[in-house]
Amino acid sequence: MQGAWWALGIAVASIAALAYYAFVVLPARIHRWRCDGLRAFARLIELRTQGRYGNAEPMAELASAVAQRLGIPLHERRRMELAVYLRDIGMVAIPYHILNKPTPLTPAERELMGRHAEIGASITEQIPGLWHVAPIVRVHHVVYREQPDAPLAAHLISALEDWIRVAESADADTAASVLKQGAGARYHPVVVQAILSEVQQRALDGVQSLTRSAALWL
Amino acid sequence: MVMRRQRIRSWMLVLGAAAVAVLMHAGVPFAQAQFLASFAGVALLAVAAEVLLIRYPLRPEYSDRGIWLSVSTPIVIAVILVYGWQFGVWLDALITLVAGTMMVYLRNIHPRWVAVNTFQSVLSAWAAGIATTAIFDSGSDVWSVAAAGALVLGLFVYMLVNGALVSMTVALAEGVRLRWVLAQTLLSLPRDIVLMTPIAFLAMAALHAYGAVGLLGVLAPYLALRQAFVLAARQQELYHQTIRSLGFLVQRAHPYTGGHLQRVSMWARRVAERLGLPPDRCELVYEAALLHDLGKTVLDERILNKPDRLTPAEWEEIRKHPQLGAEILRDTPFLAPIIPWIALHHERPDGAGYPFGLKGDQIPVEARVIAVVDAFDAMIGGEAPNQRRPHKRPLSLDEALTELEQGAGRQFDPQVVAVFQRVVREWRVQREARAGA
Repeated sequence: MQGAWWALGIAVASIAALAYYAFVVLPARIHRWRCDGLRAFARLIELRTQGRYGNAEPMAELASAVAQRLGIPLHERRRMELAVYLRDIGMVAIPYHILNKPTPLTPAERELMGRHAEIGASITEQIPGLWHVAPIVRVHHVVYREQPDAPLAAHLISALEDWIRVAESADADTAASVLKQGAGARYHPVVVQAILSEVQQRALDGVQSLTRSAALWL
Repeated sequence: MVMRRQRIRSWMLVLGAAAVAVLMHAGVPFAQAQFLASFAGVALLAVAAEVLLIRYPLRPEYSDRGIWLSVSTPIVIAVILVYGWQFGVWLDALITLVAGTMMVYLRNIHPRWVAVNTFQSVLSAWAAGIATTAIFDSGSDVWSVAAAGALVLGLFVYMLVNGALVSMTVALAEGVRLRWVLAQTLLSLPRDIVLMTPIAFLAMAALHAYGAVGLLGVLAPYLALRQAFVLAARQQELYHQTIRSLGFLVQRAHPYTGGHLQRVSMWARRVAERLGLPPDRCELVYEAALLHDLGKTVLDERILNKPDRLTPAEWEEIRKHPQLGAEILRDTPFLAPIIPWIALHHERPDGAGYPFGLKGDQIPVEARVIAVVDAFDAMIGGEAPNQRRPHKRPLSLDEALTELEQGAGRQFDPQVVAVFQRVVREWRVQREARAGA
């Protein structure tokens, strides 16, 4: 029976491997596969608005890091990441000349632009595997004082989007002060805290790696 | 249609006769008292396994029904090795029948498919049994290399035979090429065997040591296996969903491309098939035809829907759409093969096309196919008045075919045009037959 125990061990080990594959590896792969598909949607919006909206690549990575900091569970993080790619999809339905208007928008046009979240949610609802992302897409420009109960992921996307826009047009410090001023009013205070500490951490890491490479050079 | 029904009926008869012959040859092994209890126990568990079916999506255009896969195969193989093939054949017949009957009520499946399924599983189990008896005596020590080898062999033969029979049935029922379905069902065979082997081995050991009760211990890994299959099927589904949703966006931004898309894609695939492209390539041609105007979602819809002549500047904009489509798909690796076809679907063999002005063989054949089919569909216009192209009067089928012929060699690839004409004529004959009936 000596051989029997070996064989049993091998069988049990391979079943553990199978379970790992089925419950960890495959879901992660499917998530990546899904993001690959949705990247096409994000690029579509990016091209349609000449790069002003929809760019998801920098945001997706930063958003999941911040979400991890906030302790949002894995499945919720994945849902949020899908929402990051899909958030501006409603812009396909906004007329081109409004999206690309060089002069400032009139109030009516601004109102129309504001509906992109709602339109995007209704598009997302119609895609069978993505209906669960629609609630986040619908409120991805959520204002904390108006809807404090909105999903945390939506608050995160809303704040992060503004941070990225300001940081790109001005610099990171201005962006941080915008978030700090809006904390509790426009932005969720906890989310603001997490974003700022993540950004600070990254800046520190950047400095450290810089000094390390500088030390190597010297 | 009548032909198809007759063919599937005779196929069912052949399957049924063969299955009955196998069962009679096997005799009634479980009538012996010592087997009856374990047979009942095993059958109960196996039915449970069978009912947890997985809907495996075939390509949506073939059939929205998909195939229902069950994962009771490892248990059947284990039973064959421990109790003998006669036992396994009867077990498989019984569980497929019982579970199938439940499915008739639960998921609204036609009873005919239950019968076909039962015949198929009997024949597959028999083939697996014959193959394994060649290298392994059922009931001898399961802790041996011969047992493990027989196990893998049994799984392989079972899945191979079952896959072939199922493909035959699907091909006959849906009227698609056997080759295509076969490619789809057999592609995942190696992975399935790797996934199933540990479970089958554990089931065999448990059966050998504890009888039917031992199978309870296999339940947890069995659920893991099922999960793996569910997710693998899901991945397949996501792929189709992405393509469908992108197609949906094309349609939304550009309303007259509605019915146009499906029609163009069907024709494109048929032409690709006639040109002798490999099956997976033909599928991709379908996908590419569905998405070839993806770039138009980025353009100004006032230009796209303009009823008057376009100015040169507006033409310049429209001419960007193939490259914009390619640009959209840039970061989606699983659609990478179709990107060049989308980017080049407005190239012409004489070099007067856009965006690059490539000539003849420099243009991939898939892009040439899409160009022909797209132009033809634009000529004949949509079926509903609001689907017509704004600029031009729609031509009749014959007028459009003549125009294609005139353009062959300059605007279109002559070989593709010739094949395409045949496809359209056949389509028309079919449509008239349907209208007559």
